Formats: sequence, C-alpha cells, structure tokens
Amino acid sequence: MATPAALPPLPFNPSRVRTYVLRLPLFTRLVLLAIIIFWLLELQTVWSVVQWGSIIPEEAGFGTMYRLNTYPFIHLGFFHAFLNVLALTPLLERFEAEHGTLTAVALFIGPGAYILIEKFVLHRNTAVTGASIWVFLLLGSEAIRTFKSNPYFSLGPYKIPTWTSPLFACALVSILVPNTSFLGHLCAILVGYLLGLGALKFFVPPEKILRWIEGKLNLLGRLPHYVSVDQKTYGRYGVLPTTTTGGERGTPMSFLGTSQRLVNVVGVAAAAAVSRPVQPTIPPHHQPNHHGTTSPNAPDPMALKSAVRKLRSNPHFLFVHLPHILSFICIVAGVVWLLLLPLNDYSRQTYISENALLPGQVHAYFSGSEQHVFRGYKKELEGILVGQTEEGREGRNDEFTPAVSGKIQSVLKAAGLKVATQNYEYTSSGLTHQGQNVYAIIQAPRGDATEAIVLVAAWKTVDDELNLNGVSLALTLARYFKRWSLWSKDIIFLFPPDSKAGTQAWVDAYHDMQPAFVQPLPLKSGALQGGLVIEYPFDHRFESLHILYDGVNGQLPNLDLFNTAVSIASGQMGIGANLQEMWDHNDSYEMRLQTMMRGMVKQGFGYATGPHSSFMPYHIDAITLQPKGDGWQDEMALGRTVESLCRSLNNLLEHLHQSFFFYLLMQTNRFVSIGTYLPSAMLIAGNFTIMAIALWLRTGYYPYSQQSPVGSPVEKPTKEEQAADPPKTSNDTPKPDTKNIRERQLALPLTLVVGLHLLGLLPLYIFNHIPHTYYNPATYTTILANAVLPLLLSSSLTLTHGLSTQQSHLIKSFSLLTLGLFLSALATLNFSLSFMIGLLCAPLSFVNRINPHSVSAPLRHVLAVLALVLLNLLSPPVVLVVACAYFGVDVESVLTQAAFGWDVWGVWTQVVVCT
Amino acid sequence: MTVLSSLALLFLVALSSLTSATSDYHESLILQPLPQSSLLASFNFRSNETQESFDERHFRYFPRALGQILRHANTKELHLRFTTGRWDAESWGPRPWNGTKEGSTGVELWAWIDAPDDEAAFAKWITLTQSLSGLFCASLNFIDSTRTTRPVASFELMGDHSASSNLHLLHGTLPGEVVCTENLTPFLKLLPCKGKAGVASLLDGHKLFDASWQSMSVDVSPVCPHPDECSVQIDQTVDIVLDIDRSKRPRDNPIPRPVPADQLACDTSKPYHSDDTCYPLESTAEKSWSLTDIFGRTISGACPLADDHAHEDPVCLRVPHEREVHVAPGAVETKKSDGFTRCFTLQPSTPFDLTIPEQEATTQVPLEEPVLRAERTIVGNGQERGGMRIIFDNPSDTNAVDFIYFETLPWFLRPFVHTLQATITGRDGVRRQVPASEFIKESFYKPAIDRERGTQLELALSVPAASTVTLTYDFEKAILRYTEYPPDANRGFNVAPAVIKMGSHDGQNNHPIYIRTTSLLLQLPTPDFSMPYNVIILTSTVIALAFGSIFNLLVRRFVTADEASALLAQTVKGRLSGKIIAIRDKIKGKSAKTE
Repeated sequence: MATPAALPPLPFNPSRVRTYVLRLPLFTRLVLLAIIIFWLLELQTVWSVVQWGSIIPEEAGFGTMYRLNTYPFIHLGFFHAFLNVLALTPLLERFEAEHGTLTAVALFIGPGAYILIEKFVLHRNTAVTGASIWVFLLLGSEAIRTFKSNPYFSLGPYKIPTWTSPLFACALVSILVPNTSFLGHLCAILVGYLLGLGALKFFVPPEKILRWIEGKLNLLGRLPHYVSVDQKTYGRYGVLPTTTTGGERGTPMSFLGTSQRLVNVVGVAAAAAVSRPVQPTIPPHHQPNHHGTTSPNAPDPMALKSAVRKLRSNPHFLFVHLPHILSFICIVAGVVWLLLLPLNDYSRQTYISENALLPGQVHAYFSGSEQHVFRGYKKELEGILVGQTEEGREGRNDEFTPAVSGKIQSVLKAAGLKVATQNYEYTSSGLTHQGQNVYAIIQAPRGDATEAIVLVAAWKTVDDELNLNGVSLALTLARYFKRWSLWSKDIIFLFPPDSKAGTQAWVDAYHDMQPAFVQPLPLKSGALQGGLVIEYPFDHRFESLHILYDGVNGQLPNLDLFNTAVSIASGQMGIGANLQEMWDHNDSYEMRLQTMMRGMVKQGFGYATGPHSSFMPYHIDAITLQPKGDGWQDEMALGRTVESLCRSLNNLLEHLHQSFFFYLLMQTNRFVSIGTYLPSAMLIAGNFTIMAIALWLRTGYYPYSQQSPVGSPVEKPTKEEQAADPPKTSNDTPKPDTKNIRERQLALPLTLVVGLHLLGLLPLYIFNHIPHTYYNPATYTTILANAVLPLLLSSSLTLTHGLSTQQSHLIKSFSLLTLGLFLSALATLNFSLSFMIGLLCAPLSFVNRINPHSVSAPLRHVLAVLALVLLNLLSPPVVLVVACAYFGVDVESVLTQAAFGWDVWGVWTQVVVCT
Repeated sequence: MTVLSSLALLFLVALSSLTSATSDYHESLILQPLPQSSLLASFNFRSNETQESFDERHFRYFPRALGQILRHANTKELHLRFTTGRWDAESWGPRPWNGTKEGSTGVELWAWIDAPDDEAAFAKWITLTQSLSGLFCASLNFIDSTRTTRPVASFELMGDHSASSNLHLLHGTLPGEVVCTENLTPFLKLLPCKGKAGVASLLDGHKLFDASWQSMSVDVSPVCPHPDECSVQIDQTVDIVLDIDRSKRPRDNPIPRPVPADQLACDTSKPYHSDDTCYPLESTAEKSWSLTDIFGRTISGACPLADDHAHEDPVCLRVPHEREVHVAPGAVETKKSDGFTRCFTLQPSTPFDLTIPEQEATTQVPLEEPVLRAERTIVGNGQERGGMRIIFDNPSDTNAVDFIYFETLPWFLRPFVHTLQATITGRDGVRRQVPASEFIKESFYKPAIDRERGTQLELALSVPAASTVTLTYDFEKAILRYTEYPPDANRGFNVAPAVIKMGSHDGQNNHPIYIRTTSLLLQLPTPDFSMPYNVIILTSTVIALAFGSIFNLLVRRFVTADEASALLAQTVKGRLSGKIIAIRDKIKGKSAKTE
C-alpha cells in the first residue's frame, strides 16, 4: 500500500469529492442525467426542446400534462443548466438519502407532484423551465428544518429567523441572474415551507405501500445506488445501506455535512463546484480502467468499502490519472465552447459604436456623367495595355510598366492632385519583386495635413487578376473627390502594381520604417485614419460586395469599419455584403460555424489577404471591397459605396477606437467578442499547464513501490512513447527511503529544452533564406530530420547520461509549461493560431514513456514506432505538405510566415522535446 | 524676390516716405489668379497714429480697443496671426508678403513687451493674451507658460524702438485653434470703415472661410521716419486663396454634382470617344470670373477715410496686359510698366465690379521658385516612441540657403537631441549620412520641464545648393494624467508648426522670408476613459457595503439582553456612570464586549 504521507498536501481532499460523487443516490443521478441529456438535446436546432417541455399556461391541458414532469429537466442554456445542477445536486441527494428513492420519485414525479406544482406554477404567464423550482423547494424545506433546531442567526442585535434565508437567496438570484422568475422561486419556497412544516405529509405515499413495492421488486438488490425506504430511519448521517459499520463515517461525510449546512445557494454552489469537474466523467472514464473489478456497485459490502478506502488513499490516481482527465476535459470543453459560439445566446448582433461615423447618412452623388469619365479612363488604360502587349510581348500579366505608371500620373495631375512615385524592390525566396507605386494626395481644402484616408487600387488583385475597373474607378473618384470642399482629411489614392509588396512598401515608407531597397516617400500627409481597397477585376456587373478584413498576423481592423461598410453597402446602396467567401449564407448554425472557422483559419495562418492587410501592423484600420457575383450593380454603385464610406471616415473626430479589435465574425451582422471566445483557447492552453504542473509534482517524489497493487495500473498503452532503457528504471525502483522527497536534477532537462527551442531557429532561418526552388527538398529533409533527430537524441542521451524517469518527466514538464505559457499569451493576440496549435499539440499531453515492466518488448517497439509516426504526422512540415503546402513565393507570405514561423517552429521543438 | 512682394515693398517704402506726423489710413487689394483655378486676394489696411496722440489716448484711425490693451500690457510691438489651411508652394509659388504676414496653422502671437525683468514681462504677456482673447474671440488665453517661448533669433523687431526700452520677446502658438467668422468680425471692427466701404466690403465670412488657404494678420509697431517724429502703425492684412470654381457655385446649391453629360469637356480626338465615353479634357483656358462671382458682392465704393495718393490705386489686378478685363463704369485703369499689373481707382459710393471673361492663356504671370521647401512629419508607429523627420529641399542649383529653424514642442513630446541625425541627398538621389554639425552652424536648445514649459529648439542651418537635407530625431511620448486629456473627443494633440526664417536671398535688403511647416498630430497613449469610471463605481459600491457593515460591527457595543434592559431603565446619571465604568473597563483591558 502506498503511503499517502509521501504526497504533498492538497487544500481539500479530492478523494472525498470523488466519493461524494460516486455515492450519489439513484434518483439524483437520474435527474442529473436527464438534465444533461436535455441540455445536449437543445443544441440541435430541429426540435425545440424548450417549446416541447416547458410549462406554458396557455397550453395547459390533459394532452400537455407531461410538461409538468419535463420542465425541470429543461434549461435555457448551458449556464442555466450548470448552475441549477450545482445547486440541486446536494439538496436532492440529501432529500433522497433521508426519504428513500421511492419517496423522492413519488414526490417529485408523479401524481402528488402535479398538485404540488400546479399550485405555484399555473397562474404565471411565462414559460417555465429549469430545475431551480426544485432547488428552492428543497431549500425551503431545509430551512424549516434548520429553523426547528436553530431558530435564529444573530447578527448584532438583530435576530434573523433562519427560515428566511431561502428568501434572501431567492432575492439575490433574481437580482444577479437575468430572466429568473422571482415569483416562481417564491412559490417554490412557499411549498417548500409547507413541506418542511409537514403540511404536505398527505402527499407522501404511505410507507407501507412503498415498502411493499420495494420488497416485491427487490429494488435494493437490483438497482445500484438505490436508497431504501428504511434508510430514512438512519437520518441524514446515515451511511449507505450496505455498510454495516459506522467506523468510516466521520471523515468522508464531514465534507458533505458542512457543505449542506449552508443554506445559501451561493454556498451550495461553491461546494458543488468543487465536485463538478470530476462528476460527469468519473463514471465512464475511471471505473472501467482503474477499478476494474472493485466497482462500488458490486454487491459485496466489504469490497465496496475497501474500494472507497483505496480511492481515498490512492495518490497514483491523483497525480497520474486526474491530470490526464482534467487535461482531456479542458480540451473537450475548449472545443465544445468554440462550437457553441455561433448560437444566438453566445454571439451578438453588430452595431456601430462610434456615433461620429454616421454611415449612410449622406447622399452619394457619384453617378451621371462620371460614368462617361470612368469609361474614358478605362479605354485609355486599355489602350496602353494593348500597346504594351503588342510591343514587348509581355502580356497584361506582367509588371507594372512605366507607360501605365506615367498615364496614371498624368491623369491625376490633370485632376489637380499632388502626385508622387515610389520605387521598391524586395527579394525573397530567390525571387525579386520590384515595382513603382504611384500615389496622389487630395489635400483637404481647409485641412492642416494632420490626418488622411487612403484609397488603394492595385493593378493586380489578390488573386492576380488585372484590376482595370478598380483602377479606373479610383481615378474617376479622385477627379470627383477633388471638387468637394468638405474633406477634413487628406485623401490619398495609391496605385501599387501588385496587391502585396507594393502596399507594404508604401506603408512602411510612410512611417519611415522602410528597408534599404525601398525608396522613401517624397510626398506625405498626416496620420492615416483608415484605408479602403477597391478591387473590380471583371467587366460585367456584380451582385454583392465581398469584404476582406483579415490583417497580417491575425490582426483585425476595428469592427466599426467593417460594420460601416456593411451598413452602407446593404443599408444605403442595397448591395448585399459577404464575408469569408460564404456566398450563400442563410444564417443557419452550420453556415455561421463555417464562416467563423474560415475566419479563424485565415487569422491563424496570419498571412496577408489583400492590400489592406499591410496597414494593420501600423494600427490603420483597412478593408478590401471586392465585387462578386453577376447581378445588376455597376461600377458606379461601387463608387457610391466608396464615396459614402469616405464621407463616414471623414466624419471621424478620433482614430477608430470605439469598437472591438478582437472578434470573430460569423455573419455580416453577428460577431463574438474576445470575452466570449477567449476561454476556449485558454482551456486548451491550460491543459498543457495542468500536465506540466502534475509532472513537476511527480518528479519531486520517489515513485512509490511498483509492487503495490494499487500502483500497478497500466499507463494507458494507447499513445506510449519510445522506451527508455530498462536498467535505469529498475535502478530507480528499489530505493526505499523514509523520506520520499528528492531533489530534482534540473540541469539536463533545462539545457535540453532551451537548446531544442533554439534549434527551432535553424529551420526558420533556412526556410526564409533559401530560394523557392529548394523548398520541396528542404521540406522533405526537415521531415526526415524530424523523424531521425529525436531517435538519435534520446538514444545518445540514454547512452551517455542515462536518462532517468525523473529527467524525462522534467523535460516533458518544462516543454509543456513553455507551451502552455506560450499558447495562453498567444491566445490574447491571435486566438485562432493559439487554438490551432493547441489542438495540434494536444496529444503531447498524453504521451508517456512506456513502462518497460508492463509491456512486452515487441509490443513496446511497435507502440514506439506508432507513436513516433503519429507525432511526426503532427509536426509542422508534414502538416504543411498535407495541407497542400502553400509556400510564400512573394514577400508578404514570407514576411508573415516569418512571424507564423516563429510559432510553428516553437511547436516543432515541442515535438522534438517530447519524443 | 517675387513681384508681388516687391510690390508690397514698394508700398511700404512709398508709404514710409510719405508718412508724416499726421495720422492717415490706407487700404489696398491685390488680386492675382494662380494656377489650378485659384485666385489670391491680398487685402491690406494700414493706419497710423502719432506717438503723441497715442500716448494721450487720442485715437483717430488706430482702433481704440487695441490701443488700450497695448498700453495696459506695456506692449511695444504686436504680431497676431490667424491662419487656416496650407500654402501650396508647388502650385502657387512663393508666399504673399514673403511669408511675413502669415502665421502657423491656428493662431500665432508674438510681442515685444517692455518690462524690467522676465517675470514682469511674462505677467504682462498673460495680461495681453487674456485681453486679446476677449477682443478677437479666440482661445488666446490658453497660451500659458507651457506654450510660451522666448525665441532668440527667429523674429526681429519690425519697428523703430528707442534704445532705452528693455524689450522682451514672447511667442505663443495655438495650432489647434479653428479660425472662423467670430475672429473676422472683431478684425473688421478694427478698421476705420468697418467693412462697410472700401475693399473691406468684399470680406464676407461665408466666402472667406471657404478659401483653400487664408491668413489674417495684425501688426502693430512704432515707426519713426525721423528720429523725433514717431507714430504707431497698425497693419492689418487678409490673404486668401479662393478656388474659382468652388466660389462660383451658387450659395443655394453648392453641391458639386456631376455635370450634365452634354457639358462635359471631352477629348474628342480619342479614338474611343463616343456619347457615353469621355476622356475629360482639363481646359487650359483662364477661367472667367468677376468679383461678384467670387466674393458674392461688389466693392461698395471707396472708403472715404482712406488717403488718396495719386499714384496708389486701391485695387490692383495681376494678369498679363493682353488679358481682357471689364470694370464698372467710372473706374480708372492704370497699367503698370511691368506688364502684369493694372490698378483701378475707386469712386466714393459707387459700386465697383471687375469681370474677366474666359480667355485662352497665352502668357502667365511668372511664378518664382520658392527659396526653400520644408516638410516636417512624424514618423514611426506605436504609442510610446516616435521620430520627427524634417526635410529641407533647396531647389536652387547655385546658392546655398542659410536659415534659422525654430520649433517648439509640447512638454509631453520629449525629444532626444542626441539622436539628431542628418542625411543629405543630392540630385543624383544618393543618400549620405553626414554628421548633423555639418549643416547646423549654431543651435539653441531649451529642454522642456514637465507641465511647465515646452521644448524650444532653434537651429541655424545651411543647406547646400541642389540638395535635400533630412534631419531626424527620436522622441518619447509622455503619459498624461487622465485629467490632462481634453474632455471631449479629440483626434490627438497638435504640435505647433516649425518656423523657418531666411535672410532675403538677393542680399539687397534684410527683409526676411518666412515659411512655416504644417502642424503635426501627436497620438498619445489614451486610456479607456470609461474604465476608471467603471472601476470607481464598482469599488465604491463594494467599499460602501463592506465598510458600512464592518464599521457598524466595530463601533457598536454588544451587551447582553439583561444589561440592555438595565441600561435602558437607567437615568442620565446612571448612563453616565455606566459609561465611566465602561471606560474604566477598557483602560483595565477588560473587554466590554459580550455576545
């Protein structure tokens, strides 16, 4: 038997919680199960459970009598269900333990309950759901009971009768929790008082009948956790019916006793919260593989008792299995949380937060003869492009030619703008990107050159199409805007030759942060307040506007800008708006989820999605407007949208700051803000930290005796890792020491973890500097290195140093700790990336060394190979290849991939370290 | 030297020589079409008062309100500027009056105050700003110690001062001040004819403040043509650059709607030209305009108070002589010998209008190249640090430009002067890093003191011919106390423009040329102001609840029921003795508390 004294003390004894949960009586379990099942049922959208099962006075009738039984199981959402479960569990458990399962069943469900409930339910108008009615009912009866034994609190000179406490609780709940039915709770308390006073005794079925039923059916023998009617004679401190002695009574029950003394709901909730994480998972997860034969529902009382005792005194469970379970719950909860977000309860309708924007409040005049001018400019540009094609055989898809640049300059100059150019040249992956940005400034007529708006029309769109209409439109708009005198900010028209490098070069130079091969800007204006990118790469009319908003490294523009664009496009101009390439968004759960996921993937990859992305790192909010589809909106409609957007931005008194910068959009008018979605990634990051702490705790103590029957459990053989050398492990085992605390040998693990993280810089450097033609071989080399390096490393380590279990645990602990810290920090910056990496790395938490004693050698090797393959599959290069590796051939991708690369390589080192 | 400014100098010289000991008043208007359908209108109003009558508070043309303020504040020379917009030197050429009558964006004020020491001068300065604030309806009272500087080399005395006076120069700028009609009305009220007659009758707030650039100035200085004959001279100017197209739009329909398709000027030579395709042709013809179109009214006759000098006509137009100009009957046109200037006399109480029909331009009034181009911008990003970049471009291929660069920075912008670096770019476009001392001949630097005074930096610089010099330095943004942020929505903090003073490049006289950069916007780290509010509310509630109950428990004396009834039954005397007992118990260390 292992010695519990060897383990560090915990603030509470989790085994008690476990015991408590395991000993929940039958009816309580069933009720909890029903609540959870109904809550899960609500997640689907086809059949409205709430509509079906709640009490609605208008629908009261014989046909709907079932509602009287179903309403307590049905809740309006996760939190409703969760809180009620927390509050109900101890109360119901106690009631059942005192009165017997049958009585509880009869009272809560059955003809008696009808009368009970009808009294306080049917005269209300709203639909009633939730088990809180029961909670307050039981609280009421408990309070009366307490009142009998202990009539007053004395607070100062005042004596408060204890029976009032549920009323306080009720008032508190109705204040703190929205949408609670104060009246319903009050009625429940009243009935609870009556019950407690014995006034409702006549509802209780006669004991004789119950005994008879019990005896006839042999319920006690057949049902686990059944509480007999006889049981109630033992009172609330009675032990389970199968237990004969009261020797163990004091300790395990004291926890329950104290918690149940709390009459306040908050107190109950707090106590129950302790028990909660273990409760739903212990039965399915733990019983089969840990206890095996000694399940508490076995008929033998002695076996049950010893099982309970073993459980309490089993540190192996606490320090080996519990963290695994907790981590697993964290991951599952994180994913489930994310899946909940598209629901109406968790997402919000968008709104314009900055009142100064006044979207769509002005009439847009861009129409009429401006269209003639637009066609003129377009023909002019087309003529030049055709000439280029004929002369140089370069085709329209080539670089931005000087002739085109010159034409744009002359058009802008004729319109009276200040024109300037900027040359740039980037070299990345062995490719050179060079070009010339043309830009022009409309100086605000009475402005002081302190603020500016940017309008970008790139020659090539993001998809490398020729943006002829977009450029012509921007030129026409420039000429048109020049006539207006109302601009309070300068308007800059930027014509980069491509969508990625050009804008980046310009924005960098605007802030004087440009690299050496990018020219500084000869002409500047004030602080940029917003950016709009126009793309119109086809000749036909369009149907809707596709709004791109993702920035580099997952940065997002202020939500107000996006909202303004949506509200102007759809509200003022009657053009539909799309996002994330969701063309047929019908606002269903699936569509929302899909939109959100696409947004997350883009955010997670963090590469530029358009020219607007380059503005984000400088805290300039920008979006791209892409016309899509085939409809009846012409370029003038797009022009009016841009005009109206510019007018809105022109109204801004302050830099956009009012609305959210961290959000997930799932429809043009629905979003989730950071407060709602962040826990998801945090839970996933937390799972690594939990494991790391558990491993750290484990390494501080000698492994308890392997001969112990309790300690024998197999570490789950599904995802084992490479085997360490047997002799060392066996050396560790026979060290009997009275003091089980031992020193941790930190030097080797720390060096290894730091060194491997630094090693991650190597592929980062290589991938950023080799020419793009070598990308494929480089990737495969990296994969190979991934496979071989861990093997070499671990074998060399074991051969030279003799890697002990402790050290391997420490290595894993440190890497997981770094990973956890890193991911939770990252989650606040780039939620999606953190989430994705967290999920990819999730198996790392569950990877263990194979215990050489428990698994035979061939099996061990097979497992090791399997695990290695699995981990290699998850390593970044492989993921990259599998996901149709997109290698940044141009500057943006490389730039962003550098940032992304840091994270990726960080992960990669984790993989290496843990193998 | 630009023709316009030489003309102005001509005025000055002529007037100075003609100024007698008697007071007089003179006004003039110069109109000059500029490229890109702009029109520069320079109004000048000058009046004199002898020093004797000024001292005796006997005012004839000199505005009494201003005179009293100047006397009260011991101000010997005053310069006040209201400016909006920016001068587009690239299109419009050199500035009117060589920039001497122009201020930085917003309001700029500098004055020489006669005072025994700095403290007294500052006290008088505050008096002056407060009084002018009331007079001109401007926020001049916000020029406090943090915005006041004492420039060393950037400004010179304009007038003739007696050597005995102990003058202190103080300078203040309000870059964020919005200049509008409430500043124009008091400005016009200073004039003898109050804008009812004379050229001032053209000044209408609606048109004036629709200008692309506009500057109003008030200069007061003593002028002594002879050592014993001194007079106080007030010189008021209004310079505006109007957009002819925009000004010609009717006031009831000012929206620049797209023109009807048939009125669109198209390039019909294009092969694709058709009814619905038009490559717009920007007409090269000089636009037609008239005073009524541009200003919305006519000049309502000459100001009867103005002195008529036979050879100084009040309204001058600078267009080539071959340009056709129609004037109202009765006005006499005089063509000047330079080929570009013609002047008109005004008749008393007869409206004067001037119409120029559209005409293909054959010759243009030559615009001189500016002597120096300067651009100042804030670079870098983030809320903690930034950099200042000042670019000086010398367009001349032969002459180097020497000038004084003067800038004041608010205290919350903390420059690091050690990071001052210079690069020089020749016409070949190659940038070279050179030590800043190569260009900076002298420097005067007065560092800021938090919440007391701003940074003052004056550099004597020299930019070689045909090159561009870029100065950069880094700065740090201070974090303000939350009460120091402006209470309402703001786009950032304005940094006053830099002032550049050049000696006249022809070297014949020492009338300086001034140019000013644009003002800058400094984004400071701004807290979420609703957060402290939320925190305060929440903590106050919690503390109120907790404090209330805990205080109650602490202060209340707990007694048993028996004691309580006994206490209640007791008389005043008994209660007193009971308290004494309680105190005695306390002193003895016994706890009086019983549950």
